[in-house]
Amino acid sequence: MVELETLDIRTTTLGISLLDCADPDLESTCEKVYSKIVHHARHLSEVADSIENDYGVPIVNRRIAVTPVAWIAGPSGAEDLSPLALALDTAAKEVGVDFIGGFTAYVHKGFTRADHALLESVPHALASTDHVCSSISLGSTRAGVNMSAVARFSEIVLETARLTADTGALGCAKLVCFCNTVEDNPFVAGAHVGIGEAETVLNVGVSGPGVVRSALERLGPDADLQAVASVIKRTAFKVTRMGELVGREAARRLGTTFGIVDISLAPTPAIGDSVADILELMGVERIGAPGTTAALALLTDAVKKGGVMASSSVGGLSGAFIPVSEDQGMIDAVACGALSLAKLEAMTTVCSVGLDMVAVPGDTPADVLTGIIADEMAIGMVNQKTTAVRIIPVPGKGPGETVEWGGLLGTAIVQDPGRFGCETLFRRGGRIPAPIQSFRN
Amino acid sequence: MSRRFLTAEDVRRAGGQEIIVDETTVVTPQAQEVASSMGVEIRTGSGAYTEPTPDRGPDADAAGPDPQFIPEPTDELMDTGVIVTCVGCNRPGVLGEVAGVIGNYNSSINDVSQKMVGDYFHLVLVVELGAGSDFAGLKQGLLELDKKSEYVIRVMHERVFRFMHRV
Repeated sequence: MVELETLDIRTTTLGISLLDCADPDLESTCEKVYSKIVHHARHLSEVADSIENDYGVPIVNRRIAVTPVAWIAGPSGAEDLSPLALALDTAAKEVGVDFIGGFTAYVHKGFTRADHALLESVPHALASTDHVCSSISLGSTRAGVNMSAVARFSEIVLETARLTADTGALGCAKLVCFCNTVEDNPFVAGAHVGIGEAETVLNVGVSGPGVVRSALERLGPDADLQAVASVIKRTAFKVTRMGELVGREAARRLGTTFGIVDISLAPTPAIGDSVADILELMGVERIGAPGTTAALALLTDAVKKGGVMASSSVGGLSGAFIPVSEDQGMIDAVACGALSLAKLEAMTTVCSVGLDMVAVPGDTPADVLTGIIADEMAIGMVNQKTTAVRIIPVPGKGPGETVEWGGLLGTAIVQDPGRFGCETLFRRGGRIPAPIQSFRN
Repeated sequence: MSRRFLTAEDVRRAGGQEIIVDETTVVTPQAQEVASSMGVEIRTGSGAYTEPTPDRGPDADAAGPDPQFIPEPTDELMDTGVIVTCVGCNRPGVLGEVAGVIGNYNSSINDVSQKMVGDYFHLVLVVELGAGSDFAGLKQGLLELDKKSEYVIRVMHERVFRFMHRV
């Protein structure tokens, strides 16, 4: 499984609470943040290496998640929080992790002064650091969607794209917004440590689209859909168990608590490591064709069922990711016109996250971005599920053009968001009230 | 003084006095730098300051052994076991080659099963890692045989096998 089907542990993420780092002096807060992260994560990479050696399972990424920075910045009253981003970045470099998540604020109902300062600091913070990821909670089923925050977030996405134009707006790949955000998410860009989490906690994200694809190949095209679901469940069981083994062992070796296994199928641009391939093997001619949402619903549900049977510590996002630029099958589907932005949105009603790594033209107006994000937040709010948007307006690129980020982030073909906007909606501000929870039809 | 962190600002505020911190206090690198430039000594009640062991929190303190429902090893042998499977066209010396590599890594074969199907062999070995040898090294050594393309070798840690395949 490991050699032939690209089974790996996608990430071991050490969560560190920074609540005790709050200080009236921003410089002192930065010092404490840096020291605490380095103090706790110094051996994270070494432990991951040792587990790779001992068990022969590749652990692709080592990451850190921290308490939303807006929660510790309050006492300082600072308006520019980019020094905190720099402290996170320096600490990440010191301990040798690839990403650190937690430049985060929860504004799904309203802003504190610190939340406001954080949002205003995001573009510069992401442009001036390499490893820091930012996530903003814009809505929830209990609170509704803060449309004023959605509109402001859209402008921040455009500003981040402008500041990182020389790298194809790479800054926006480190920026995501959520409805019903997940407090133990080990995957970037949304990784952070929620208010109910322990002092330190080790979470694991598994991968495995290649393993599911191989199992379906062996099953063949004639098996019925219950058989398909069974094969996916059995495969998810094995992959999750591998995640639990690695998570428990890493937590033991670090002397910390094991948190959760996130059982998301996370594709990479590598050939064969693709969620699109799975859907096509299930019987959809090309991902994006009619039938895709149904196939993805079966896949996401079966992955969850298999994973939950395998472990009592399933958490995070857990399901199937559909990051367009990170999945070769999805890139091909966009190139041949099979996968539109509208179909992607439909797919996000049944996948585990949302619009992920979608490139749009750099001159997309803020109100159009607001509309795209608000639609996605509304899907999450009404369906009591997590939805997210990681959208990249690539400066100087128009629909159909290609942008290459390389590595795990892959290649994207710029998609057309259409020519109609929602400027009045964008300007209204306010909040979409929380939805009714009965009369669910 | 009892505190989680000692920062550069704290050192400046101390006004050149010696600073005594708790055994668990984390002194930031900036605080150490300022103290050193001011000639201030930072120490604990029992002697010179050294970075404490990370305090992973009350959950980690309370954590017991892993729960019983996880298929954890029941003895030491099982924790160091390696399952080697080998399939290919038979010829004299195959078993010897595989056993030779295992021997070179100071490991021993605890159990072996060999089955012939026509001209093909299927070999399963349960290997115990010896002192000083690691799984990664043994796996690499065995996969060198695989590169000759005469037969296929798969190497898996017994613990991974048990976790993945037992309900």
